[in-house]
Amino acid sequence: MKPAAGSVAIVGGGLAGFVAYLTLLRGGVAAEEIAVFSPETDPAGAWRRRAAAIGQTRMRSESDGHCLPTSFPGLAVREARRRRSLRPLVASVRDRYHPSVADFLAHVEELRSRSAWSDRVVLTRIAAVSPVAEGFELDGHGPFRHVLLAAGHPGHAVPDELRDDPRTIHAYESHRYAESVCVVGAGMAAATEWLNALAAGSTVISVRRREPVRRPLNLPRPYLTKRGLAPFQRAAAGVRAALLRELLAPSYPPGREWDAPLDAAASTGRFRVEPAVNGADQIVCATGFLRGFRHDPLLARLVDEHGLETADRWLVLAPDSTVPALTDARRTLAVAGVAAQYAFPAADTLAGARYAAHAFLHRCRTR
Amino acid sequence: MSYTLRGRLETRLAALVLPLAAAALLALTLRTWWPVELAGVMAGVLLALDLVYDRAIPYQPGWVALPLGCLELGLVTAAVTALGLHVPLLAALGLFGAGWLAAQLLGHALLPLWRLSYAEDGGELGRAGPVLGLGVAVLFAAAGGVWRASLPPTVHLGARVYPGPLVVDRRERLVGTTGTVVLGGIVVRHSDVTISRVHVRGGQNGIDVEGVDGVVLKHVTVSGATLDGIHVRRAAIRIEDCSVEVSAPYAQGIDISFNADRGESVVRGCTVVGGLQGIVTHSSNVMLSHNWVERTRLQAIDVDEMSTGTVMDNTVRDANGVGINCGDRSMCMIEGNRVSGTRPDSAGGNRMRAGYGLLVEFWAEAEVGENDLADNPARVGSFLGSDVRYVRD
Repeated sequence: MKPAAGSVAIVGGGLAGFVAYLTLLRGGVAAEEIAVFSPETDPAGAWRRRAAAIGQTRMRSESDGHCLPTSFPGLAVREARRRRSLRPLVASVRDRYHPSVADFLAHVEELRSRSAWSDRVVLTRIAAVSPVAEGFELDGHGPFRHVLLAAGHPGHAVPDELRDDPRTIHAYESHRYAESVCVVGAGMAAATEWLNALAAGSTVISVRRREPVRRPLNLPRPYLTKRGLAPFQRAAAGVRAALLRELLAPSYPPGREWDAPLDAAASTGRFRVEPAVNGADQIVCATGFLRGFRHDPLLARLVDEHGLETADRWLVLAPDSTVPALTDARRTLAVAGVAAQYAFPAADTLAGARYAAHAFLHRCRTR
Repeated sequence: MSYTLRGRLETRLAALVLPLAAAALLALTLRTWWPVELAGVMAGVLLALDLVYDRAIPYQPGWVALPLGCLELGLVTAAVTALGLHVPLLAALGLFGAGWLAAQLLGHALLPLWRLSYAEDGGELGRAGPVLGLGVAVLFAAAGGVWRASLPPTVHLGARVYPGPLVVDRRERLVGTTGTVVLGGIVVRHSDVTISRVHVRGGQNGIDVEGVDGVVLKHVTVSGATLDGIHVRRAAIRIEDCSVEVSAPYAQGIDISFNADRGESVVRGCTVVGGLQGIVTHSSNVMLSHNWVERTRLQAIDVDEMSTGTVMDNTVRDANGVGINCGDRSMCMIEGNRVSGTRPDSAGGNRMRAGYGLLVEFWAEAEVGENDLADNPARVGSFLGSDVRYVRD
């Protein structure tokens, strides 16, 4: 393989990397200057598989849950134009608009073909980032002055006690439902599993360590803007880590569409909450992803080799999502996606991807 | 969006640019100040509200702009009323509405497109924000400078007697003091003239205003005129807190006539003593309120000859024949007045002069609210095809 070169590299070709790529293009960085390192060319590949596995049909995010660098025009505008109807816009101003997964994926596909993304993807998984005088080398590629690490989630989390149980499957793996299903977890994936298993005729047992938080988005909305972020980013590392633990607790949206089927099933004995896994035919672990930089080999190595600062399970980042010890006037090492939660608690959402991308573009343009 | 305080203020300033520019353009085109005054009130009220919103609304969904817009319209209207600004309603609503629409368009579409990090910055505009603030401040400062530069020159009259008649034939503020006396009257022959704290003694008409607009008389005292104390023809005028005393056989206190095409005239807070008629209007559009009129020989207050008038909260004492008259196809709104001590005038055998507190005659129409007319020989009279409608709260 011919080593890739240019001034900007994105490590990770998922949605966070894709948003960063589109943002760089919008900011005037030439496509030829950007190299994307990813094991696959479909930016929505991993996300698509997970959504399909849990049978998700609607996005939790709202109109601006898309990959464009600006929040406007959102998917509500796109749907309103397509359907020649104001209903999506009205729903959007009421915070009731949630695009369909199909619409979102179609939009990603459209953007991908329009942006020559596939031409910029180098099909490889980067194992090491090495700082050099004028930037960073990536497994022999480069050097690149500005590098964004957007490697995505490091793997599925399964509780130790269930790992060897033959009935166990992770929610994000393709599956059907047995007659009785025990769903472990209390977040959006778990709630989706409850409803889908009930719809498939199963009896559902919900096992959770705590009651889920009910809120429309992953985080309280002020944390999506400087209003909530500024105090968060000013807090000391320990306080910030504690706050992140609290903010990232499992949650799913409020609303009748969630409650009514559960109430109906509970009244007929087909849904109940229990403290521990029992004799159900199938155990679905809706327990999300492995948490913390230690589970990501690239980040773990970077931290160990350069003694980077960490707080609890998080890599300490500057408010603009850069790694302070490896970023200076000449070069940028920034992080996007779930590993950037220390800078932006909702970093693993599309809004978070945009946040990191905007800051990264600023670095690329001004240095 | 969860705005930061700075984000709210900067977004608001950005949204105000369009109405401010429109106001400036309107002011230049119409050569009037109300658009700039309205824009100033809008900016003040809306920016002050943003300080409140910042505390009260940590997250603002899109739909909230609608009720907030109604609240803002109400408060801007209240502020305009409280400040006594004269603003055409439709134009004002248009300006406010355009500003609101511009704010929605900017906040939801244009600013996010222009500034990538607009949403996550909570509405802040980066370096453009302070520049915008400065720009708006400069605009208002410039408007204020132009306003000040365009004020009419002020002429101070000291505390002595000036021989008259004094003719004012340029834009001017004529300001007297205690002891300033002009003999023989003042004649106003130019628009945008303000006369205050002057005592006019004698003359055919005490103060004569004809064919001009924007004339204001404040705290003027008129006495000894042989015809009208204040004589207004084809002119829109505002008379406040005046004192007029006349005693000549054909003299009248204040006569405002033939200005129906010149806008509303206002007489407020004046004391008129003596004369055939205390305050009389012909073919005019008038607002007469909070005046004190006494000892008149024909009518104390007369809205006549196809006038349109509001007569409100006046006190009339000891009139001869008629207290308040609405006559000759005029349309009157009469409310909150206190008329007492009206005497019957039996000199000509005219039944309409039987001492009515309120008289409506010759196809005039009057809407009559609560008035205190008890202490008169006759309370309300309606003659010659007139129409009296009583309005109760």
